[in-house]
Amino acid sequence: MSFDSVIELKGLKRYYNVGGETVKALDGVDLEIGRGEYLSLVGPSGSGKTTLFNMIGGLDRPTEGIVEIDGVDISKLDAYELAWLRCRRIGYIFQNFNLITVLTALENVALPTVFAGTPHDEGLKKAKKLLESVGLGERLNHKPSQLSAGQQQRVAMARALANEPTIILADEPTGNLDLNTGTEIIDLLHGLNKTRGLTLVAATHDLKMIKASDRVIWMRDGRVEKIERG
Amino acid sequence: MASGERRVHLGYVEAFRLGYSHLLRRLDRSTLNVASIALGLSFYTSLLLTDTFYRTYSTLGGASLSVEATYYWLVAIALTVSVVGITNAMLISVQERVKEIGTMKCLGALDRHITLLFLIEALLQGIIGGIIGYAVGVVAALLTTGFTTGFDIILRVPVTQNLTLFVSSLVLAIVLGTAATIYPAYRASRLDPVEALRYEL
Repeated sequence: MSFDSVIELKGLKRYYNVGGETVKALDGVDLEIGRGEYLSLVGPSGSGKTTLFNMIGGLDRPTEGIVEIDGVDISKLDAYELAWLRCRRIGYIFQNFNLITVLTALENVALPTVFAGTPHDEGLKKAKKLLESVGLGERLNHKPSQLSAGQQQRVAMARALANEPTIILADEPTGNLDLNTGTEIIDLLHGLNKTRGLTLVAATHDLKMIKASDRVIWMRDGRVEKIERG
Repeated sequence: MASGERRVHLGYVEAFRLGYSHLLRRLDRSTLNVASIALGLSFYTSLLLTDTFYRTYSTLGGASLSVEATYYWLVAIALTVSVVGITNAMLISVQERVKEIGTMKCLGALDRHITLLFLIEALLQGIIGGIIGYAVGVVAALLTTGFTTGFDIILRVPVTQNLTLFVSSLVLAIVLGTAATIYPAYRASRLDPVEALRYEL
């Protein structure tokens, strides 16, 4: 089977300088992530999961090594192109949802379309459809503070999908949710991965998420410890 | 993927919409900023208006009165204080919104988009503060001069002079409000998304 990779990491290193000491957050990671794959990143805190997440998301630059998204080395991109990548190619989902508190659910979901240059009405229409698809069609004009944690995470999911990205990056998406709402979110993510063929990379501790994934990457001390088939 | 397509946008209309939402929904802080501009400005306009009223009064045959020069120093100080106050408030506002700024950068915002959002907020605050400040200034000037010159003095001042004064104080309010926000806006725009997202208030 030919492996159509959408993300490729080659000899990836990221060192931080903390108080004169070098911390090796990532210390040589090689990894290929296939199109439409559902990947879980697992490991104790400090193992480099979040750094890896930031690297793939184009939020941080490697000390050494290469991150390729769709065959493009992202260290060669300028600020505009990097912003474009974050805007159009990647959807982010966070543990704390990170919704804009002053905007309604609808406006939050439409926000990425603003940066993508979508006309206002079209962006809102798209946002409405997405919110309906995650079961929040009745709560379009609610503020994040008026929504439950599970609902907020669904808004965040709809937002991540707003510009039809090819990659969804999720950092502990169920970390702040109870068991049932967590399962709902996992099912939604899994469904997206299967029906839309989205590549899903999730840093997680959640056994349910790990079980649902195609591959599990175990991280330790900034390296890939082992890779398991899900 | 041609490089020409690889652009992110933030149109002025959208930026205004976002800035407006921020102002409206963080009403406590924006009200304080507006009040700060309005207070400084009202002092400024009341002084200039008082002077104008006195001069109009003397050209109409009344006694020759004038505003003491030291007051202008006080105005300069008052305006400086309001600028410093706004800068401080906006810096706190940036601090409150660190995560939001990080999130926006994740969604495709460029540094200059973040700057633009903050400057638009400053602009809107400046406009509102300027208008309120002018109105308060008119009342204050009338109260100081009215008993000597008669309250109808405002109607005797040439319209163009009134208009010039209004426009100049509005412009001053906008310039001061925006100038006070340049540094906070710059700080906000330079936030590193990775750090910003990890930030806990």
